[in-house]
Formats: sequence, structure tokens, C-alpha cells
Amino acid sequence: MKIENLKNLILKASFLSLLALAIWSCERDDICAEATATTPNLIIRFYDINNQDEFKSVRQLTVRGLDDFGVPGNEITLPSVSPDSIALPLRFANEDIETITRFQLEKDSDFATNGNDTNDSNIDVIEVRYTPEFVYVSRACGFKSIFNFGNTGGVSIDPDGDNWIINTDIINQTIDNENAAQVIIFH
Amino acid sequence: MQRKLLYSINLMLVMLFSLTSNAQEEQSETTADTLVYKQKYGIRVGGDFGKIIRTLIDEDYTGFEINADYRLTKNIYLAGEIGTEERSVITDFLDVTATGSYFKAGFDYNSYTNWLDMQNMIFFGFRGGVSSFSQDINQFTVYNTDQYWNAPFTDTTTQEFKGLTAIWAELIIGIKAELVTNLYAGLNVQIKSMISQDQPDGFENLYVPGFNRTYDSGRFGIGFGYTISYLIPIFKKDKTVVLDSEEN
Repeated sequence: MKIENLKNLILKASFLSLLALAIWSCERDDICAEATATTPNLIIRFYDINNQDEFKSVRQLTVRGLDDFGVPGNEITLPSVSPDSIALPLRFANEDIETITRFQLEKDSDFATNGNDTNDSNIDVIEVRYTPEFVYVSRACGFKSIFNFGNTGGVSIDPDGDNWIINTDIINQTIDNENAAQVIIFH
Repeated sequence: MQRKLLYSINLMLVMLFSLTSNAQEEQSETTADTLVYKQKYGIRVGGDFGKIIRTLIDEDYTGFEINADYRLTKNIYLAGEIGTEERSVITDFLDVTATGSYFKAGFDYNSYTNWLDMQNMIFFGFRGGVSSFSQDINQFTVYNTDQYWNAPFTDTTTQEFKGLTAIWAELIIGIKAELVTNLYAGLNVQIKSMISQDQPDGFENLYVPGFNRTYDSGRFGIGFGYTISYLIPIFKKDKTVVLDSEEN
């Protein structure tokens, strides 16, 4: 009976510690999964100005962000050399403060250095104006920022006398995912 | 690291207690067919030394708990805990502090058959718990996988969410061993299930005092208790032990 008692005790104690181990070790939500939607990029799609239901890719497009002094930064990675849609990272700092990001979109960028004046690349500058809003995602990812165009926001084209971008249109007032375009550029 | 440390302490205590109760058992020798032992009934009051040690070694944690149980029948105890905790959850993207106090009450059932006049316990129990707490976001860094522009933006505006409450139920499994007369050391594991909680607007509770950390995956939680308690005997009852005839 003594030994039975002891066995019983050890059995229960080991069950206890095993149970603790099992539950303690199944922590999984401390790493932000890559598939989680966090701060989105602005999605722009290019459409044909003459046939406004059709996509129209931009030949040899190069996109760079412009800093506060208008100096172009590094090239933004695009899905292809001549894409019909692009994803642009937006600048942001404080929540609820209207923020501006400017981009230069260079069409036919392979012609920039060919020395032929009649067949040159064309740089247009667009200005995106929006208000960041911080949204809680999860314990692992923390907060993301989404962006609202609101009443004062939008996309505008800097006129330079030779714009290849003819018009822009906002089709989604809130930039909160990367599944669908928020802005359309006609050219 | 720290979890591993706590876990090994946990394991060591389990082993320690099984050894001590074992040692006590082997001293028992019986000569008569029937024996009568005095069983102490009373209030056992103590504290959680695990929380005190953690307060000393973990700068993100401050906690204190008083626990008590009262023996109702041979195997059933009325039991409860009251405590206060402050815990900071700090990751690369979040810095949040939960502060509050909690109260838990329920019953313990002692499933261990004691020898002689010993009163060790291997118990299973149930608790209902309530917590009143606040959740403060000290700062957060916006999660942005695109680093084209600059370093991630950190918002250092403090946001306070006060007056939150949570209610949960827990199952508790543990051991209490009498080290010296009337002084008990205990170890227990609590498996918790959230029943209801106030979630802060636009945020969520990462830690609930008494419940411990929450999980994205569900409403379950876990806790460990390392207790030292003292039995204040109020009265004694006879316990009659009839020995089996087959016993040598």
C-alpha cells in the first residue's frame, strides 16, 4: 500500500508537470506573420485615356520618391519593367496630420541617356495627400497605419508643359489594403 | 529565458515535494488494527513567493498575492486568492503596461490519502476570478514592412484605458506539503478560461492581472503558483484508520 501510494503521487506529479509543459510551450502568436496585412502601400493602376475601361501599361517606367527638397531617392521596385499597376510606399509620422508624398514617374526611362532630343524620357511628378490613421492589428504586429484621402486629400499632377499623365481618379477613399487599387492614372 | 527558468523551478519543486512526502510516509509503522488520528481543521493563510521572487528579478513585473483556504470537510476546502499585479509587455512594436488587482474564490478537493496525521494535499480545484485593471500604451512603433522612406515611426503618446474588468474561470491542480508543523509549501498550475472582459477601444488586453497574458488564438490562459502558507488550527476532528488484515 505504501508503494502504491508513492506511485500514485509520482504519477500525479509527473502528469502535472507534463501538462504545464504542454501548455507552456504552445506560444505561437509572438511573431508577426508575413501574411498579416500591416501598413499598406498605395496601389495605382494605369488606364488608357482613349479607352477608359482598358489597362494600359507604362513603357519602361521608373519611379522614385522625392524628399522634402525635391531630391529623388532610390528607385522603387516595380512588378515589371513596363507595369500596368504599381505599389508606392507612403511617408507618415504623426497620426491625424495630413501628410504629402511626392513621386516622380519617369516613362520611357531607357531613352534618358540616348542623347536623342526628339525621343527622350518623360518625367512627371505626382503629389499624394492623405491622413494617416493608426489601427491595432495584433499582439505580435502591434499597430499599422492606414491612410485616408478625406476631403482635402487626393492626387495631383505637377504641370510641366509636357505631361504624359493626363488625369487621375480616386476610386477608393481609404488605403487600408493592397488587394485593390485606390488610384487610377489615365495616360 | 525567464520562462525556462520558471519552468525548471516548477519541475524541481514537483520533484522536491514528491520526495518529502515520500520520506514522511516511510516513517509510519502501525501495530494496531484501528488507529485514531487527530485531523486539524482551520484557516491556512499564505502568500505566493513566486510572485515576490519575480518582482525582484523581473523589472517588467510587480506582483503580490495572498491566498487562504478553509477546510470544510475531510477532503474539501474553501479557497481563495487576492492579489495585485503590474506587468509591462514590451516588444519591438509595443510597450504596454497592465496594472490592477484581482480576486479569486472557489473550492479545492484533496485527492491524496494521507498517512497518520499528515495533511499533505494533491488537490484539484475550481476558481472564479475577477480583475479590475487598466491598460496603458506607453508607446508603439507602427509596423511597416516597407522601409523605403525612413526608420519606422514611433508614437510616444501615452494612451490610458482605465476601469477595465475581466471575469474568468479556472481549474487548478496542485500540491501542498507540510514542511514543518503547520507550515506548508505549495505548487499549483491554473488553467484559465476567459468568460468576459472589457477590451479597450481600438486595442486589446495583452495582460490581465490574475489571468496573466492573453493569447490571440483563444480565451485560454495559464498561471503558476508557488505558495508558502501557515495553518491556524481552529478545531480537531478524529480520523479513524482501519488497517487491512493483509498488511504485514
